[in-house]
Amino acid sequence: MLSVSEMLKMRDKLRKWREENYRNSEQIVDVGEELLNEHASKLGDDIWIIYEQVMIAALDCSRDDLAWSCLQELKRQFPDSHRVKRLAGMRLEALERYEDANKLYDSILQDDPTNTAARKRKISILRAQGKSSEAIRELNEYLEQFVGDQEAWHELSELYINEHDYAKAAFCLEELMMTNPHNHLYCEQYAEVKYTQGGLENLELARKYFAQALKLNNRNMRALFGLYMSASHIAASPKVSAKVKKDNMKYGAWAASQISRAYQMAGRGKKENKCSVKAVEEMLESMQITMS
Amino acid sequence: MGEVELSCLAYAKMYLHASQFPRCSVNGLLLSSSPAGAAVCITDCVPLLHSHLSLAPITQLALTQVDAWCSQTQQRIVGYYQANACVSDSSPTPCALKIAEKIFEQCNNAVLLMIDGEKMFPGCRVPPIVMYERKDARWTLKDKHTIMLRQWEETCSIVNQLFSSGDQTLLVDFDSHLDDITKDWTNQKLNAKIMELISPANGNV
Repeated sequence: MLSVSEMLKMRDKLRKWREENYRNSEQIVDVGEELLNEHASKLGDDIWIIYEQVMIAALDCSRDDLAWSCLQELKRQFPDSHRVKRLAGMRLEALERYEDANKLYDSILQDDPTNTAARKRKISILRAQGKSSEAIRELNEYLEQFVGDQEAWHELSELYINEHDYAKAAFCLEELMMTNPHNHLYCEQYAEVKYTQGGLENLELARKYFAQALKLNNRNMRALFGLYMSASHIAASPKVSAKVKKDNMKYGAWAASQISRAYQMAGRGKKENKCSVKAVEEMLESMQITMS
Repeated sequence: MGEVELSCLAYAKMYLHASQFPRCSVNGLLLSSSPAGAAVCITDCVPLLHSHLSLAPITQLALTQVDAWCSQTQQRIVGYYQANACVSDSSPTPCALKIAEKIFEQCNNAVLLMIDGEKMFPGCRVPPIVMYERKDARWTLKDKHTIMLRQWEETCSIVNQLFSSGDQTLLVDFDSHLDDITKDWTNQKLNAKIMELISPANGNV
């Protein structure tokens, strides 16, 4: 049996995971199941949102028994709720009963055509079934109506990346960067897409956005490596002017020294990173040779 | 074409990698410490990514670093593996074919290995893998009889032991390494644990 303080700690953990949208489902099931079984009476009104959180985590871990019991509690408390109906739909999705799930979502949308949750679940079903082009089409239609939905823009960028449609993925990331100018991850992903598209212009854009991502978060290793690689490739290109070559060699050298430093600090005292540190050193050396 | 042997160590880490990220596509490189010959002996693997498999910069970075590490440790890159997020589809994606092509340029009996998610359940009698080799400028399915997994039962039991002891969380892929560079993508610690489990099973390392 948990003490009251332990119970409160667990409840706070669940809240933190909820607020930060972590998908650590095994942990949530572990903590949540114990909390609900032993301490339901002490949770107050929090209990309903915890039932929802634990149910979704249970679906993620194939714990249909737990998901079902959470769903029953929620149905009992909120018999006509669309929110609970959506959860019932998610359970059907987990059981791969996609037709039944779609029927449920369609009935929600008949009642309330603005229900974004049901629409997004329908798109998730298309994704689960591997119907990428339909998912893309539906998501585009959704975004025409709900232009501010960040989650949807990001989902769309992922879909485009999987389909190798980098130009459209870049467009989605541009939307995200506009509305989230301080988010280093969007800058860095945009830079990766540009780098992948290739060509001198895209490499220069990639370098600029890797640099921007670093400005926003100077510990973003992907951005640091990205800066190093794009600068090195530009410097090595026969098409650039002497000045551009010189500038990029400077950026590349700076990035290389930052990378070296980061790995030296990481490798301190830890025998097991010896291999990765050595690999990076060799890589930096070999790229220096090709650059000059 | 030639025979391919897949070691317990390589298989276990691939399996662990796919299990660690069940909602993502994952990929990695297959390595050999044996000299080049007619048969391919896959003795180890390096788990690479679990996000944005088709984007170039991190893939290029990973390939360069693994290459460097291989020359330091007398290993060669002999293949590529991938597990698709969509469990029902285990066919090679364009990105898988592209990377496999690159590897083939350096290793003429390179293999492309797709993990079949649908066969990854406890108690499955068949290895959840599909292998491709390069024949007549195309990647074609390899004859199952040329693929060898020594001591399959022991391998399965070792994988189960890793899960029950919680050691499967030790696996680090290149993506996780970039999130925290103190993590070791060569997985020395996990390798040691697996080798420990292998030795008593069949008396040789």
